[in-house]
Amino acid sequence: MENKRGQIEVTFNWVYILIAGAVILLFFVGIVMKQKTVSEDRLSEDVVRIVESIFTAATVSEKTKNFVGVSGISEYTLYFDCENDVGEYGLVGKGGRVEESITPLFSPQNIKTSQLITWSLPYRMPYKVMDFLYVTSINTKYIFLAPNLQVADNIFVREFMNVTEGFNVERISEHEYQDLDPESMYQIRIIDSGVGLVRDNGPVPEKLQKMEDDKVTAISFVTPGQVKFYNKEGTKWKLLNRNPVPIISLGGERDAAKYGAVFSDDDESYLCNMNKAFHRLKYINQIYGGLDIGNGVAGGKLMEMIQFYESQPEILSRKQSCISDIKTASSSLSIALSQHQSNVLACLRSINCLDLIESAQNIAEVNERLRLNCLTLY
Amino acid sequence: MNRKAQIRMTETVAVLFIFFVLVIFGIFFYYKYSQISILEKQQELLGMRAIDTTLKILFLPELSCTKGDAEPEDNCFDLSKLGSASSVFGGSAEHLSYYFDIFKYANITVHEIYPDSTNSWTIYDKPKVIMEEGREIKNWKDYESTFFIVTLREESEGNPKYRAGYLEVGVYS
Repeated sequence: MENKRGQIEVTFNWVYILIAGAVILLFFVGIVMKQKTVSEDRLSEDVVRIVESIFTAATVSEKTKNFVGVSGISEYTLYFDCENDVGEYGLVGKGGRVEESITPLFSPQNIKTSQLITWSLPYRMPYKVMDFLYVTSINTKYIFLAPNLQVADNIFVREFMNVTEGFNVERISEHEYQDLDPESMYQIRIIDSGVGLVRDNGPVPEKLQKMEDDKVTAISFVTPGQVKFYNKEGTKWKLLNRNPVPIISLGGERDAAKYGAVFSDDDESYLCNMNKAFHRLKYINQIYGGLDIGNGVAGGKLMEMIQFYESQPEILSRKQSCISDIKTASSSLSIALSQHQSNVLACLRSINCLDLIESAQNIAEVNERLRLNCLTLY
Repeated sequence: MNRKAQIRMTETVAVLFIFFVLVIFGIFFYYKYSQISILEKQQELLGMRAIDTTLKILFLPELSCTKGDAEPEDNCFDLSKLGSASSVFGGSAEHLSYYFDIFKYANITVHEIYPDSTNSWTIYDKPKVIMEEGREIKNWKDYESTFFIVTLREESEGNPKYRAGYLEVGVYS
């Protein structure tokens, strides 16, 4: 009897120890698992926060190229998206992400690299509106299809190759196009500057056909101010936008809007980022021309310029031409600014953004005239 | 036998009691440690936000001194733009919403030091408040200020005049 009780007691003790041990073990395993998820989320948030700081610094350091070593996150894929005028970037499959509704950020859709490249250029219309930020990587290759750099259309290609030292850029002729080799690149972008080899349903170079569709993209300049976007679809190019996208800029060297087209993967993200700039232009116009400049009512810096002359009769008598250029002439600054603001509002209503170029040129012309002898707007 | 079992039972209860006391002590210690590190992290983030905001303002096209198509002058604010900046930054709900995305909860003031130290321009002020019975009630825990020396350019024909000043950026947490 005693033996049997002892046996039961020993068995019971072991069962008790096993259950208690399992419960305690499960408790700690639970904590560890929870901690692991929290740490991963925290890591992804930290990474995104650091990337955000890098972008902030890159945006304000105008015209400076930054090569940022990110080998710690080279296993992760950074994604960039822009919809409804709001951009977003973060790590694919992780919690951390940042919404960016202010700064236009032109980049491929995905970047997986050990070295990020950031660069910024000022966008002027005609005065500085904001800095455009370009983000790419050392393993993203830009291939210019431009046989002759002396041709006027290829001035942009020559400039691009000169100013992007350290980027992965190559220029090829039409004969080398079919033999293009991706080597170990993560993604390839072809820029056809008027050669016409990149076209809808046209063949993708043989060695690039093996790459994933979204890793091979292209643009072709229909004219220096119009661009078409393409994506690889199997063995052929697929045109993404039926109507060419106009480049809204005043041209010249380091054309920020044109560079944006080169760095954007598709027309949607390009236009989305350009819209951010047009929103900002609306407010910059109000700084220069006042809140109601769209209705022809002068304010802001323009009003201060007018008051400078009108409040001092001795100056006004000597500088009639100044006040004429600022306020009264048919091509005055006041009228040009008002027209510019109306064009911005029309552009934001998706009517037409091309008129912005002309109104910006008008402001620039008056400002140049004023520079000779009067107060200038910018 | 009963006595032996009672002693064993008491032993088990005592062991369990000490075990749980240790677990509770561990949880309490971890909770306190987490609280302190969260506060430290918040302070660090607030400081970073203050610096980020200052950096953004220093290069803001809405305020910076321009020279035609040339690069803007560093650390210089155009006085004629400063005058209209506050009306644009806080002009309407749409303006406020746009500039809130840039500055968040902050107070941005530009002070003139020389020649007239009484001049100052508050160009953006968005404290963290809540509305209670129609009254605004302070709802921030911390306020971090940063200062930066700037020049203030006064437009005049051909030969702009410069004043000395500083930028004060305060951020609310």
